[in-house]
Amino acid sequence: MGFHIVKRDNCPLWKKCCLYLGAVVLALLLGAVLLISLGVDPIAYYTRMFTMGTVGNKIAYKVWINYLKELVPLALVSVALSLAFKMRFWNIGGEGQFILGAISAAFVAFKAGGVLPNGVTLLLMCLAAMITAGLYGLFVAALKVKFGTNETLMTLMLNYVALYILVFLGEAKADWNFFLDAESARPVFASFAKIVSFPGIPMGGKFTLNICVILTVLIGILVYVYLRFTKHGYEISVVGDSAGTAHYAGMKVNRIVLRTVFLSAALIGLAAAFKVGTAGILSTAITDDVGWTGIIVAWLSQLNTAVIFAVSALICVLHYGSTVAAATFAQVDSSFANMLQGVILFLVLAADFYTRFKIVSDKKGGN
Amino acid sequence: MKKIIAMLLALAMAFGLVACGGAEAPAATEAPAADAPAAEAPAAADFKVGAVYINSKNDTAGYTFAHHNGITTAMKELGLDPATQLVIVDEVPEDKEQVLSAIDTLVGEGANIIFGISFGYIDAMEEAAAEYTDVIFSHGTGYKSNETNFNNYFGRAYQARYLAGIAAGMKSLEMGNNNIGYVAAYGTEYAETASGINGFALGVQAVNPNATVFVKNLGAWADEVNESAFAVELIDSFGCGVISQHCDSAQPQIAAENAGVFGCGYNSDMTPDAPKAHLTAAIWNWNVYYRTAMEAAMNCGTADKFVETMGTPAYYGGLAEGFVDVSPLSENCAAGTAEAIEAVKALIISGEWDVFSGTKLEIAADGTVTKVDAPLVDNAGNEIVAAGGASVEDGVITGTMNYFVAGVQEA
Repeated sequence: MGFHIVKRDNCPLWKKCCLYLGAVVLALLLGAVLLISLGVDPIAYYTRMFTMGTVGNKIAYKVWINYLKELVPLALVSVALSLAFKMRFWNIGGEGQFILGAISAAFVAFKAGGVLPNGVTLLLMCLAAMITAGLYGLFVAALKVKFGTNETLMTLMLNYVALYILVFLGEAKADWNFFLDAESARPVFASFAKIVSFPGIPMGGKFTLNICVILTVLIGILVYVYLRFTKHGYEISVVGDSAGTAHYAGMKVNRIVLRTVFLSAALIGLAAAFKVGTAGILSTAITDDVGWTGIIVAWLSQLNTAVIFAVSALICVLHYGSTVAAATFAQVDSSFANMLQGVILFLVLAADFYTRFKIVSDKKGGN
Repeated sequence: MKKIIAMLLALAMAFGLVACGGAEAPAATEAPAADAPAAEAPAAADFKVGAVYINSKNDTAGYTFAHHNGITTAMKELGLDPATQLVIVDEVPEDKEQVLSAIDTLVGEGANIIFGISFGYIDAMEEAAAEYTDVIFSHGTGYKSNETNFNNYFGRAYQARYLAGIAAGMKSLEMGNNNIGYVAAYGTEYAETASGINGFALGVQAVNPNATVFVKNLGAWADEVNESAFAVELIDSFGCGVISQHCDSAQPQIAAENAGVFGCGYNSDMTPDAPKAHLTAAIWNWNVYYRTAMEAAMNCGTADKFVETMGTPAYYGGLAEGFVDVSPLSENCAAGTAEAIEAVKALIISGEWDVFSGTKLEIAADGTVTKVDAPLVDNAGNEIVAAGGASVEDGVITGTMNYFVAGVQEA
């Protein structure tokens, strides 16, 4: 008696969809049991969650604006991570790269905002964030290439270095610290929203579409093309499959690793610039965990750029919807909402396992 | 894949259109309502309270718990049902975007008044108040406000601290130990902690002029491990017999109990946590403010009259309002403590005397209180208030109290 785990070669799309859907339904049923045990009507709860409270909401346009604000960084970070992941470079440092990007973008906003034209400042913010975050990623890639260090550990630990730099800036009340509001006796980040911020495109009514949404979609398309149709993209996938093969084929593996990791981290920095340029202020919670969630999204999407957009859109519905639903049910706090999200993600990941592998009993295997 | 992106875009645009429809429709229905006689305040049954919390609304202790308890208590007193009339977004970090998003959710739910309990919500509250002029915004521990629908609230915790200091001073005399410990979230960096430490130390000195208050600075508002470790250090290395605290958990009191010494808690009555050690705690009765604010919100007519109805854009209650107090004295308190605290409380409530003035109180062992003119001096020897001078503000809002009074020592 025993089991074998066997790789599944081709899981048909319909089967994949059924497995994923099954996982979500199972998670919702589990959640329903928990909700009932708390005395909450699960149907009412889920309705609110999946409509994100837009029904009967006189400021429903706000829901969509806030929803897109969550979606943009998540989608862009996931796309960026997929670049590195495709090469099997496990960049767990999305949080840290995002934070350094955010600090650099804010730095430019404070220094150049109001001095240079708005468009130029925004462009400089993006560039600064991309370069800083890119270099932060490049540092780890260089160590890996040069000394063979483990990039998972390195990027992970550098997250905390970045976080504490940000916390320090948020707490160090001093004359040099222009990141803080000079008027407040207690340290609090200063806002530059009135000086410089990404413009929104009026879509009629009160809804405005932030330009970052369009830019993010454009970047998604570019990355798709880059991975699919360019020599660089081809090199990335060869290195990902086997560095040895790539080397044998005459590819400069080290250069490819350095280049791709820089690009991956730089795009994360860009996501941070979009976020900071929209919020107009720093905060120690600026990442909203996109560096982590992005990993899940990239993985669930199997590194397919188009699927990343769909998956991050769904994850944001889950995330935003949970918060909204929890607001009206006294028994349900956001910890519960987080747990429910966790259950759904966990089961979807389990379903994902079954799309890649199957379990075969030894008897059947013929041994 | 272009199809999917196209669909996403189309979706976003479709939502845009839906949103416009949604946004305009109620505006049309609101217009006639505004013409109706004097736009009445919502009846109690329609009144909705919104809140943004830093921690979970299901907490059973700590800062968020204290506020949640205050809000629900006030609602019940006013005949409002927290189950249906209270909407909360909890675990919201001090991030402007996330706070604004939480506020949007609460406004969407129809909240008439929104309380934000954490200091870092300040800019988001200010911005939201300007945007949603038909909703009242009330910010705890902040300093910003406007003249219409946005106020802030906090209180004179130092008055309660002074009373707790009396209990600690009495105990130190009884024990014959002049060393008193204080586990504080921060020191002079924040006027909130500095004024609490100073208030407490002055209360101690009124009873025991020879006492020294040793302060250990945590550098964080909540840190259970060090809250305990620092208390142990104060007891073991500094020989402290009474441990006071300005931090979230009851760990310092539990450490005092384990070491067989005594302590004064904070925020809530900590006697159940450390029954053999706890004397009394400086506590907040948040429901006092929440009730006042909700009543004003229900009676002020339109949201823009809220600040006018409250009478001030910055509510700053103390012992007189019952907003701060000390928890019931435990059996561990020394004889005469109750009488002394009652006498001083009466002096403060009547407005006859306040803590940071040029008049100090001398409290005899039997609890008799005598007023003596003496300057208020910081622990570097600088005179803050001349003998007989009026009380200075605790500076929690303005940050002016960035010193320790004489008798306080950093440990």
